[in-house]
Amino acid sequence: MSPVLLPDLPWEALLILLPLTGAAAGALWPPAARAIGLLTTAGGLLLLAGLGTAVADAQTLRHAVGGWGAPLGIELRADALSLVFLTATALVGLGVAVYADSYFERSQARGFWPLWLFLLGALNALFLSADLFNLYVTLELMGLAAVALTAFSGGRAALSGAMRYLLATLLGSLVYLLGVALLYHATGTLDFSLLTQRLEAGPAARTALGLMGAGLALKTALFPFHFWLPPAHSSAPAPVSALLSALVVKASFYILVRLWLELFAPLSGLEGAGTGEVLGWLGMAAILWGSWQALRQPRVKLLVAYSTVAQIGYLFLAFPLLTAAGLPDPAAWRAVLWLVLAHALAKAAMFLAAGNLLRFGGHDRIPDLDCVAQRLPLTVAAFALAGISIAGLPPTGGFIGKWLLLEAALLQGRWDLVAVMLLGGLLAAGYVFKVVGHFFTPAAAGHAARPVPAAMEWTALTLAILALLLGLAPAWLLPWLDLAVGPGPAEAVP
Amino acid sequence: MSLLQTGIDALLALGLVWLAWRALACPDLFRGIVLFIAFGLLMALAWVRLEAPDVALAEAAIGAGLTGALLLAALARLNRIAPAGTRADTREAWRNAPALLLVLAGAGLGLAVLSLLPEPAGLQAQVAAELGRSGVSNPVTAVLLNFRGYDTLLEVLVLLLALLAAWSLEAEPPRREAAPGPVLDLLLRLLLPVLVLAAAYLLWAGAHAPGGAFQAGAVLGAAGVLALLAGWRLQPHLTGLPLRLAIVIGPGGFLLVAWALLLTGRPLLEYPPALAGALILLIETLATLSIAATLAVLFQGSRPAAEPPA
Repeated sequence: MSPVLLPDLPWEALLILLPLTGAAAGALWPPAARAIGLLTTAGGLLLLAGLGTAVADAQTLRHAVGGWGAPLGIELRADALSLVFLTATALVGLGVAVYADSYFERSQARGFWPLWLFLLGALNALFLSADLFNLYVTLELMGLAAVALTAFSGGRAALSGAMRYLLATLLGSLVYLLGVALLYHATGTLDFSLLTQRLEAGPAARTALGLMGAGLALKTALFPFHFWLPPAHSSAPAPVSALLSALVVKASFYILVRLWLELFAPLSGLEGAGTGEVLGWLGMAAILWGSWQALRQPRVKLLVAYSTVAQIGYLFLAFPLLTAAGLPDPAAWRAVLWLVLAHALAKAAMFLAAGNLLRFGGHDRIPDLDCVAQRLPLTVAAFALAGISIAGLPPTGGFIGKWLLLEAALLQGRWDLVAVMLLGGLLAAGYVFKVVGHFFTPAAAGHAARPVPAAMEWTALTLAILALLLGLAPAWLLPWLDLAVGPGPAEAVP
Repeated sequence: MSLLQTGIDALLALGLVWLAWRALACPDLFRGIVLFIAFGLLMALAWVRLEAPDVALAEAAIGAGLTGALLLAALARLNRIAPAGTRADTREAWRNAPALLLVLAGAGLGLAVLSLLPEPAGLQAQVAAELGRSGVSNPVTAVLLNFRGYDTLLEVLVLLLALLAAWSLEAEPPRREAAPGPVLDLLLRLLLPVLVLAAAYLLWAGAHAPGGAFQAGAVLGAAGVLALLAGWRLQPHLTGLPLRLAIVIGPGGFLLVAWALLLTGRPLLEYPPALAGALILLIETLATLSIAATLAVLFQGSRPAAEPPA
């Protein structure tokens, strides 16, 4: 791509070390936590740019931690697939960090920054790891940081939501770890590329797939494992809800995608297709159940949380879509990566906007929203734009992602998937416009309003606009996604 | 294998399952915790039988000892907030447990384990081949601090994160304990020096024999817990930055080593072979201090009193 604009640095190592060091420094010296938090989050974007140019040159970067190399040591790996998730993390992370700076009171914020930097470091480490056990460690770091952030406001609902979340996420990690142990016993390695060469179909591989799939589905809140998500995501502080819905559930999904595309789907004789079908059914159920529940919710944050349950369902629709050779369909996976980016940006914007409504009126009951369109126009615009992307209406990122997925399903004649996607889109439009409608009407009882800082309104709007821009820039993004999941059908590459 | 050993193994296996079941099913939380501690001790014996003395030490010190102490401390706080009669029955969850599903999952798992090769395709040969360049002669320490030192860096950070998480929750005013009785007082005078010495030994021995930072830190942390039980408190002028430094220095020192190596143009956490032994000892010493401080502070629960409520 570009000649050497940036020096040749170990970007992947820096992306992990910088936030974790910031977290430790913030814990040591709380008065500096805010400055450290904001600078580190912004610095991550620069490091990501460096990593992006390096990956554009070399396609796949490997970094042997400790200098040992697999199988003895741990390897980091950066490629286009990890870059997609890292980009979502950096963009949403920066937006949420700026928002959180105004959201939390000064004394409370000191506790927030180290926890956020831990979460950021864990996410970066997870997306860069090429080692099954190291992935488990990053999952633990991420899960604990996410639980701590969920409970951060300290209220009764937040505590019980966080406790439920903690138990669910621990169970998911342990079940995943059991699968890792089986694979290590069978192959003598934890490294992804060595496992690809050594793993053979058999009871061990099949059980490992079942265990790791179930554990990661629980952590991703795939229906019917979504029971922990709505209470945790709706009771957390708004910036935390945004991080949880936009990024944290995507992390376990990322591991599942890696395992599926690289290890299990190509394994002949594993009946991988059967597992793919099951994941697809659960995805369809998630879309219908999540959308229906979202439509029925009386509060904005609960509605947005159930919308996450539904949108996660879309990500699982690519599992049953296979090429003629029985391998995963690159076109479908490209669509899913697009949806990951679009959902991360749009859902973060929606939760931040919901946080503004809550700050403004002191509540988020949908029928009692009182003419907020006149008083918080930026927030209303952010919610509406993000909602349009979530519902998959043009010209947003969500539209392109769902269009690509629909196309892949149509090409394979999977009318069941097509029908569920369309129905889910209708329901999503329904719950988004249910809220937007109440923005313009006066409520029965007016109430006192608190001012909302401009930074909180603008960050929500910026993320929503990014979700919109994603729909206008397909030519720029598609080559990256092709790199990530293998070349798509020739005519689709611009 | 002799008949005696088979008998011991069978007793251990049955005892573990029975204790686990009793700990989960018993309605009284206090009894449940005591059963859990007994389970941990038996588990440590099982690790000894599996010829994994490092894991056995860690299980006994952390799994049974400190986790048990933390659970008891949590129960004491719970009893003050919500006395036993006012809480939901803990057996409720078990009545609703989909027992059939669990049995099926267990059976499936058993079949998969039976299908495994008797000899695992492990990495023992590679570890042995590179042990000379690792800076230590205990293969477990070589894996934890060198070959897979990056995992350990993240694990040490998990402990710091756990403490920050506990601190970020509403802090309860520290409770006033009664003065220690003569028995505890005497016990403490005898035990504290022994525990400190044992921790130092475990830390030093880790380089060539079972031991290391986690076990040493747990033993040192247990000394701290005993001191706290006896009413000892940190001087107010030490509860601010000095305490935070003790807690952060383990992960922080590890991170600084990583930065220093990265800045000299090496990959992440690649030690120069000549310095590996010294660096590992440095990292483990700092980690021992932080692990001990963190575990003792977690036992106390809330932030030490003089800390501004930030």
